[in-house]
Amino acid sequence: MSGQPIDHYARSLPRERRDSVSASGAVTTQGRSDVLARDFEDPDALRRLAGQIKQHALDHLDDYLRQAVAKMRENGVEVHFAPTAEDARTIMLDLLRRNGVGRVVKAKSMATEEIHLNDHLAANGVDCLETDLGEFIVQIDRDTPSHIVRPIIHKNRREIAESFEAHGLGEYDDDPATITRRARRHLRAKFLGSQAGITGGNFLSAESGRLVLVTNEGNARFSMAANSLHIALVGIEKIVPRDRDLGVFLNLLARSATAQQLTVYTQFIGGPKAANRPSGPEKMHVVLLDNRRSELLGSNCREILRCIRCGACQNVCPVYRQASGHAYRAVYGGPVGAVLSPLLAGDRFAEFADLPKASSLCGACREVCPVDIPIPDLLLRLRNRASEEGIESVGSPSMGAFATVASSPVLWRLAMSGSRAMNLLPIERIPAKPLQEWLKVRTLPEWRGGEFRKWMKSRKKP
Amino acid sequence: MDEVEEEAMSPGEREIFKAVEESLADLPGKTPLPEYEDAVCVASGRLGEGTPRQIFAANFEAVGGRVLARVEDLASFLLENDHGAGYCDPALKGAVGAPLEEAGLKVDYEYERDRCDEYLFGVTLASGAIAESGSVVLNDDDTSDRLAALTPWVHVAVLPSEGAVHLTIPDAIAALGGSPNVVWVTGPSKTADVEGILIEGVHGPGVQICLMPVDDRPAGR
Amino acid sequence: MFMATCLCDAFFAEAARAAVEVLEAAGCEVIFPEDQTCCGQPAFNGGEFRSSRRVARHAMEVFAGDLPVVVPSGSCAAMNVHGNLLQFEGEPDLGKAKDLGRRTWELCDYLVNGLGLDRWEGRLRAKVAIHDSCHTRGTGTGDAMRRLLGGIEDLELCEVGQRDQCCGFGGTFSVAFPHISAEMGTVKLDHALEAMPDRVVSSDMSCLMHLSGLAERQGRTIRASSVAEVLRDASAARTSTAELG
Repeated sequence: MSGQPIDHYARSLPRERRDSVSASGAVTTQGRSDVLARDFEDPDALRRLAGQIKQHALDHLDDYLRQAVAKMRENGVEVHFAPTAEDARTIMLDLLRRNGVGRVVKAKSMATEEIHLNDHLAANGVDCLETDLGEFIVQIDRDTPSHIVRPIIHKNRREIAESFEAHGLGEYDDDPATITRRARRHLRAKFLGSQAGITGGNFLSAESGRLVLVTNEGNARFSMAANSLHIALVGIEKIVPRDRDLGVFLNLLARSATAQQLTVYTQFIGGPKAANRPSGPEKMHVVLLDNRRSELLGSNCREILRCIRCGACQNVCPVYRQASGHAYRAVYGGPVGAVLSPLLAGDRFAEFADLPKASSLCGACREVCPVDIPIPDLLLRLRNRASEEGIESVGSPSMGAFATVASSPVLWRLAMSGSRAMNLLPIERIPAKPLQEWLKVRTLPEWRGGEFRKWMKSRKKP
Repeated sequence: MDEVEEEAMSPGEREIFKAVEESLADLPGKTPLPEYEDAVCVASGRLGEGTPRQIFAANFEAVGGRVLARVEDLASFLLENDHGAGYCDPALKGAVGAPLEEAGLKVDYEYERDRCDEYLFGVTLASGAIAESGSVVLNDDDTSDRLAALTPWVHVAVLPSEGAVHLTIPDAIAALGGSPNVVWVTGPSKTADVEGILIEGVHGPGVQICLMPVDDRPAGR
Repeated sequence: MFMATCLCDAFFAEAARAAVEVLEAAGCEVIFPEDQTCCGQPAFNGGEFRSSRRVARHAMEVFAGDLPVVVPSGSCAAMNVHGNLLQFEGEPDLGKAKDLGRRTWELCDYLVNGLGLDRWEGRLRAKVAIHDSCHTRGTGTGDAMRRLLGGIEDLELCEVGQRDQCCGFGGTFSVAFPHISAEMGTVKLDHALEAMPDRVVSSDMSCLMHLSGLAERQGRTIRASSVAEVLRDASAARTSTAELG
């Protein structure tokens, strides 16, 4: 296959799919902008503040991590440490086995996607059911989520109705309310029959050891009410310094993700339930996930660790709108994924080095990021890294020759001196790939090389 | 990390702490914790006119919640919509359960998981509310059963006159307290996963009611 | 000092010329260092910092001194102001790069915020759609351009829908990701041409080159002008009217 894989994917994406993703992105982006303007005089100042708080937490992660762990243990939470994705899978399976768990319900968690937990549990005889409506549909379709917040942004109601029918959830009916009711009925029984609940975590307060979860559907609440074991997988970069800092992040997260002031359920989980309560987990475990985050902490792309997984960058990105999430071939796609995915791939960086190139560097992502991540700068640093490592970049002309000409006034003026006669050249026949790509869909303006210089010079004469 | 500390750690813990410390050791500059006033995290435009209770009620309704002032109104609502049977926290029997029964509804004072689909409504105590966001605060100390507040189609959070209504989100955070499970409920459960179309009533309640005593009705009602 | 940009040097002589005339009309003495070539952005965007630094160093030499460097391009200005900071990190001449960045201005930004111009005297009967180039995000150019154009008699400004969305040029992105680039450009054309403007105007010829090229292939009419040309044309019209009257 010639050309950039992401461009290729976009080209073969069915128009309907492209339109769903694009329209959805546009609506949520506008909604985000409206609600922030409505509620805050200076939303950008709030984003910058949030960015500083997060960067501070990251720059002092050794202290805050220590604090968070101590607090959690004090609260009766058992804390585990997973340096790699494999460690996390092993720890979590082991916990389930030790507790005799065969049936698990899961709330939506990108971290669990990142470590490919579901497949691992299934392969080891643990029935692990996704309960977030979008993730549930992804699971029954054997698909993968294509967006951080809206996992099935790429699917339409017809496809969903067909899946439901194929899985014995009723005769074909593509009414969204019916689909939702059916899921509610089906999953209710599963919640109540489960033996453990697995969640992620949006924030972890170092001050109080509280885990914060934000959801809309009620599935996370159910996962922590219907059974007696709660396991949360949390990336170490989710730690924030104090409870009061949560006020900043909670104000930005829902507005950035879904244009809501707050999601329907904002949960602050300190530990397992008290002994005298009827429902809730008797045991709570938090598995802290590193998986290269510690490596990134000191790198020149460390700002990406501020990410609070809101999806606003995906919603606004014009490239994402054309290609959709699956084009990025990784758990995290879009602008955040273009930085994070190659880095999380470790020594497989080269396989994903095309991701940072799939951008016109427009900077729209930087403008909507609730934690002020300078994504375009990070993309450029990654492009430079790829260049230094000699990783081939398909379709982009190498700039060495250009630089030679452009650092020599003599060579430059020579290049510019071709007169208007250049316009008589049959450019369609010149075997320079970039030129040919350009000409496939655009015309080239007339060559006017050197004309301005001549004019400028001629004015000097009296 | 000192030696004693290090020895007490599991291998995984040690590995992660070491890796973090190494990465941070050579950072050219570290970002300080910025100072800020709580006021920057408050959407003051949502505070409007009135008492915190009145503001809460208005904002709660704006997110799809329903405020009812009297038990009689609750009984009518439940009967009109055929939610004839449900659960009530025994501690609320006098204030809510008994009047509902008198109105002809079937009320259970024990929540049994196996019969969860039989409870079309669930009445539990709210621990407080937040005016700025229109949220009801629930926690394990006051909620008789997590499932009772979650599984019924209609959840009624009872906010007594002495219940704390926090004006802002920072206030509510400061008042989180010691309960291991605090939930801010901001309307009925919802999803927009299917083509971005908003549907209410997913895994949690489809109707979220707050029963507030009569003196604190929202202004104008 | 005037940095013409490599694009204008090669294709858009008229835009560069108009920019010089506009600066002179505003009372500036315009110096054109003939040894100038390019800001280095084409190599920079591809991540080839080594190559780009060679070009940028040449620019730093050519434009050394104390004078402001004015450029009819938001993206070239951004290269000097911001891009160089990234690629000269840890380099011994980072200071020189910062100095050039401090003195560099995009044209409209310079007129309004550098020279303090309140309005542009001129007249042009035209409906003008403004295309904001992505590199002017967070700079003074967008507002400055609107201020200048807004003051021109008989000129009707119209905004473009979904203006936060990039036109799809992105330098080598346009040829490395040809499908996505063309689709983005098509969406932009749809929005830009919706109100049927007489001209589509931008601070950046790069965007306009891509949009014009695309439009021509698609059989759509677009008259794309640099903002410099509009300012120059408006000024000229006023002058000639005054002469007649």
